[in-house]
Amino acid sequence: MSNKKNTLWSFFASVKLAIALLTIISIASILGTIIPQQDTAESFVSRLSPAMVSVFDKLQLFDIFHSLWFLILIVLLSVNLIVCSLNRFPVHWKLFHHRPDPDAGDSFENLPADRIILVEQPPHKETESIESLLKKRYKGVRRKDTEKGSFLTGEKGEFSHFGVYLIHASVLVILAGVIIGFLFGFDAYIEVAEGEAVDTVQVKGGKGLKKLDFTVRCDRFTIDYYEDGTPKLYQSDLAFLRNDSLLYQGPVLVNHPASFEGIRFYQANYGKTPSNEAVIMLQRGHEKAQAIKVVMGKAFDLPGKEGKATIIRMEENLMRMGPAVKINIATGKGNVQFWIFQNIEQIEAENPGLMDQVPMFNPGVFAPYVFSLAMMQTKYYTGLQVARDPGVPVVVAGSVLLVLGFMIVFFYAHRQVWIRIDRQGINTRISITGKTNKDPVGLDREIQRLMGAIKKAGEKRS
Amino acid sequence: MMNTVILSWVTFIYLAAFVCYLIRIMRGTEFWGRLATITASVGLTAQTVALILRWVESYQMGIGHAPLSNFYESLIFFSWTIMLLYLVFEWRIKNKSLGTFVVPVAFIAMAFASLSPNIKNRIQPLIPALQSNWLTSHVMTCFMGYAAFAIAFGLGCMYLVKRLDQGRANPSGSFLRFLPEEDTLDELIYQSVALGFVFLSLGIITGSVWAHYAWGSYWSWDPKETWSLITWLVYAVLLHARLVRGWRGKRIALLSIIGFACVLFTYLGVNYLPGLHSYLQS
Repeated sequence: MSNKKNTLWSFFASVKLAIALLTIISIASILGTIIPQQDTAESFVSRLSPAMVSVFDKLQLFDIFHSLWFLILIVLLSVNLIVCSLNRFPVHWKLFHHRPDPDAGDSFENLPADRIILVEQPPHKETESIESLLKKRYKGVRRKDTEKGSFLTGEKGEFSHFGVYLIHASVLVILAGVIIGFLFGFDAYIEVAEGEAVDTVQVKGGKGLKKLDFTVRCDRFTIDYYEDGTPKLYQSDLAFLRNDSLLYQGPVLVNHPASFEGIRFYQANYGKTPSNEAVIMLQRGHEKAQAIKVVMGKAFDLPGKEGKATIIRMEENLMRMGPAVKINIATGKGNVQFWIFQNIEQIEAENPGLMDQVPMFNPGVFAPYVFSLAMMQTKYYTGLQVARDPGVPVVVAGSVLLVLGFMIVFFYAHRQVWIRIDRQGINTRISITGKTNKDPVGLDREIQRLMGAIKKAGEKRS
Repeated sequence: MMNTVILSWVTFIYLAAFVCYLIRIMRGTEFWGRLATITASVGLTAQTVALILRWVESYQMGIGHAPLSNFYESLIFFSWTIMLLYLVFEWRIKNKSLGTFVVPVAFIAMAFASLSPNIKNRIQPLIPALQSNWLTSHVMTCFMGYAAFAIAFGLGCMYLVKRLDQGRANPSGSFLRFLPEEDTLDELIYQSVALGFVFLSLGIITGSVWAHYAWGSYWSWDPKETWSLITWLVYAVLLHARLVRGWRGKRIALLSIIGFACVLFTYLGVNYLPGLHSYLQS
């Protein structure tokens, strides 16, 4: 059992696995940008053979980033990250706590000439001055006096051993934020026409409708253009209501979402939709045609008192034949309903015989009148992205930790220096050596600076 | 449009700088090296002036914004960051041979921006999606990262050239003796990748914050987002392979070249895939 556990542990503790997983995730991501995903996949699917489509579908290649196997890769990487970190942590913990012997022993042998200074000051005086100099630059300065000479050591940046753990932890925090968002958040879309109010949103990914516990009303939608015709501004003025009482009112612009009760509203889209007003022309027999301004749902008497007419529907583009309104005429004998088009001549020219086949489209079906649509008032609707993501603060925290971790890993190093002060003939010999966990070039430069400071201090005294 | 005139001159200045670096590395005479550095510095200064002029000009047109908003401006900024970072590197490592490998990248970016007929060099007003305070920080961090990776790419090429030559029976010893030692190159590749990695991470983070405000989601698997993640993963592999597995030299140099190919695809190739970043196409 324990053997099995050990093999599993060492499997996940390997950096080879990490490199393999990172590579596989990269390749999967590349596929995800080459194969059209989700909604955009349709036209691609039509070019594939049915067998291929079913293979792609089974492998979830049309939605790689939400597929089970991609999730498994991420989970494996997370486990790998945790096990690797746990496995290596004790080593770094020891390095962090280890207080080295001031006598570095062999490290002082075979030092290059530029790591040795010869001075005339007696060793004990020199040791005192170097010790105080070291204390200004390093922590944990310790001294040991022996027959062979005096030894000093100092270090800094011990905490840099933990930078890598901070980075790994921050990646896990970010993933946790993603999971929180996935479990407790939602991503939806609504379209609200000017003057209208909506309380139900369409959740993305075909996950149905979601009722909000408040109502969103769009009071106005504005587009503004620069002189050269480039769009300058898309703005929706929204109002948030509950039980008909206004709770909040404010604009939503691209890059400036509105937030209400933890739900954010983003300017995503816009379009035109019929308002409730239109102008229709009606001609009774050979009389002069007259224009009537109508409001949807409001009944009006026909000029010859043959019945009461009401516009019951208005469409911006009915069956790709342009603007149309549906009218209901109530007479003593019952109801007649038909559509009145704006582009009737063009429709008749393109579809000969249509009017006879489909009486619903015939503008003259209610004799002796001939109806036509002169003008339909339109208004804007705004398309809003609606989202709640309680994982965002967690992701932000993870990102901050990530940047902190990078600072520690790349800009700090654990540097230790050892100095031996002993006699060589009539002179005092100062030898310096050092050790670092990264950036040996930086350590070299630091030791050079330290030697410069020691020399300078010596010159000052003499 | 004074700025575009200066910028088209800068293209030729960088070409001249590249030629000087090339002659220096062939002949080894210090005169050409000094001339190369001076030419490159003059080019960078002129480019900086042009960028500031362009910024000021946009305010005079009443549509003021940092010159980072379309493809032309991003190419100019890309070459600016490469040259800036390169000159800092040259000054720090005291070796001019890297110029032969990095300056041409800056030159090609400039030439592409100035000469391609499909790239508009007009100052355009910001469409609503780009009207954000995050535009500047997002673009700047991303391109600092790209530039650091471009330098790692140059170093990787140098490493491979040097390695290839040593494999031969009688090393030519010609220009290659001016290249830094292999160990130094390896260390420099690591340092520039580390720098690029930090900036790319910052670029992805600022981009996510921006996306959170603009698109309602900090991550949408838009192709550009996905490719920036792929690039990030490739460099993460490089860093882990080097720091933990102890990879050195050839394999790291190869990875720095693969990584830069991903950078270029993230920057240029993705524009041919459909996605939310598509306003960069013009």
